[in-house]
Amino acid sequence: MHVLQRQLRLDHKSRTGLLFAAPAVAFFGVLYVFPVAFAGFISLQDWNLLNPPRWVGLANYEKLLADTQFANSALVTMQYTVGTVVPIWVISLGLALMMNRSFRGWNGYMTLFLVPAVVSLTVWSIVWSMIYHPSFGLLQAILSPIGLGGIRWLDDPQLAMPALIILSIVKGTPVYMLIFLAGLRGIPPDYYDAASLDGAGSVARFRHITMPLLKPVTLYVMVYSIVIAFQVITPAFILTGGGPGSATRVIPLFVYDQAFKFLRMGYAAAASLEVLAALLLITLVLFRLFGRDPRA
Amino acid sequence: MGAVPLTTQLGDENRAPGRPATRARRRWGLAWRHSGLLALAAVLVAPGMWMVSASLMTQAEVLSGAILPAVPQWRNYVDIFDRFPFGVFFRNSVLVTGSVVLLNLLFCSMAGYALAKFNFLGKRLVFAFILTTIMIPFTVIAIPLYLVVHQLGWINSYQGLVAPFAVSAFGIFLMRQFMASIRDEYLDAARVDGAGELRIFFVIVLPLARPALMTLAILVFITNWDEFFWPLIAATSDEYRTLPVGLAKLQEAGTSSSTQWHLIMAGATIAVLPIFVLFLAFRRQFMQATSGLAGLNE
Repeated sequence: MHVLQRQLRLDHKSRTGLLFAAPAVAFFGVLYVFPVAFAGFISLQDWNLLNPPRWVGLANYEKLLADTQFANSALVTMQYTVGTVVPIWVISLGLALMMNRSFRGWNGYMTLFLVPAVVSLTVWSIVWSMIYHPSFGLLQAILSPIGLGGIRWLDDPQLAMPALIILSIVKGTPVYMLIFLAGLRGIPPDYYDAASLDGAGSVARFRHITMPLLKPVTLYVMVYSIVIAFQVITPAFILTGGGPGSATRVIPLFVYDQAFKFLRMGYAAAASLEVLAALLLITLVLFRLFGRDPRA
Repeated sequence: MGAVPLTTQLGDENRAPGRPATRARRRWGLAWRHSGLLALAAVLVAPGMWMVSASLMTQAEVLSGAILPAVPQWRNYVDIFDRFPFGVFFRNSVLVTGSVVLLNLLFCSMAGYALAKFNFLGKRLVFAFILTTIMIPFTVIAIPLYLVVHQLGWINSYQGLVAPFAVSAFGIFLMRQFMASIRDEYLDAARVDGAGELRIFFVIVLPLARPALMTLAILVFITNWDEFFWPLIAATSDEYRTLPVGLAKLQEAGTSSSTQWHLIMAGATIAVLPIFVLFLAFRRQFMQATSGLAGLNE
């Protein structure tokens, strides 16, 4: 009797649980999982939205592999990603280490540091498109007194990508600093005290306590900064539109152009699925290399 | 990615793992640290300051490369509304972001509650399913999503702008984590008293979850207030454009000499203002939300 009652109640509870979860599950099914499957389907078609889709099999993928524009975009995305994430890791970790102690003015500094996190990426990009302006930009005002005036940041194929990278580093640093800081706060202070008693210097403490204990957070920062850098479109769209030439045509911009300028839906879908594949591969490699070991 | 230390206290003065140092060494260390921190702060703050400064200049001042306005031109903040459909952009942003926040508060807390407090068939599957969606970049689903929304006739509509963001996987994790800390006794006592499950959820669970809901609201607000890519493709008329796309279109509209930078900077400042106010008012939640946010959108 009791057993039966409990089972009935469990059934009621399990039904309730499912009902509460249902809207979210339906949402992700319709708006995330279905589109990925749908993207796979479209990528096998030739479709310009105006005529009915035509089955072409793997032709889009073959064309993509031979497309020098796509190869260029892949290269540009790699440049952007490496150029952005590596400095961000170093600077934000350094800043987090500096902020991981109490001193006078801590709150004031923190507020200032977080300003780029408050300014949205679109606004940030628009402001920087003005900062880089060769005649009235802020950089011009700073650099011309030291004889570096009149640099055409966004018109120079050599400088356009570094310009995007600089703006992304300044924008991204505060957020990753916060993540690192939260990770540093999670390390028990006793560990440091014990190490100090054993005569460990600050370098030794960093290597043997901070680094291993910060590993999960570091992995998180690495994976997500890369995932985000791979998806970058806003600054490229606003500052350079992919130019000069195709020097800053990152893959998402390539996909956007193919889909909405040239209406090649199948081709664009194939390109975005290759991005997904690349990202999954990178994530797997990172987890293999830096994955949580049992000691951490 | 549940390892995100969202619950870690951020934002208050903290303990120092320091060692005793002599007074002179400490003073030098202080000087070094402060000059380093100040230099970094200057770099991080300058763009925002300059945006505000340029928003108060005349067009001639902007073009002359001035750093500060001679006389602050507060009129720019009126002109931006008069000369461009900026009021429409702003209203759209408020409507879209507001709806997205409300929907997230409801659906994420429901799903988080289900995952934290109920055992049901396929729960692990549901959890894994939601987890994987975090890994799918938005750019990958943007095209098929566009086609779906296009089929529904939702291009240039509020539904079309809101729907793709109505639930966030990260929000579900946040809520699940918090809901797990609510004691079962409260819920069971209410059940014994004959309260229905919906009543329990709305009358007991949601009020208890207020701090987490606050963080979730801030998180969702700041991500969606800035959403650029989706409204760019899903809204092609000014009537449905939100602030980010509207501003970008204003900047794109003119060639560089005729672009009204002073007005665009005024618009940009207004666009940043809501987030800035949130930041000042709820600094700790803001910091928690932002440090968890890195995993979501760009």
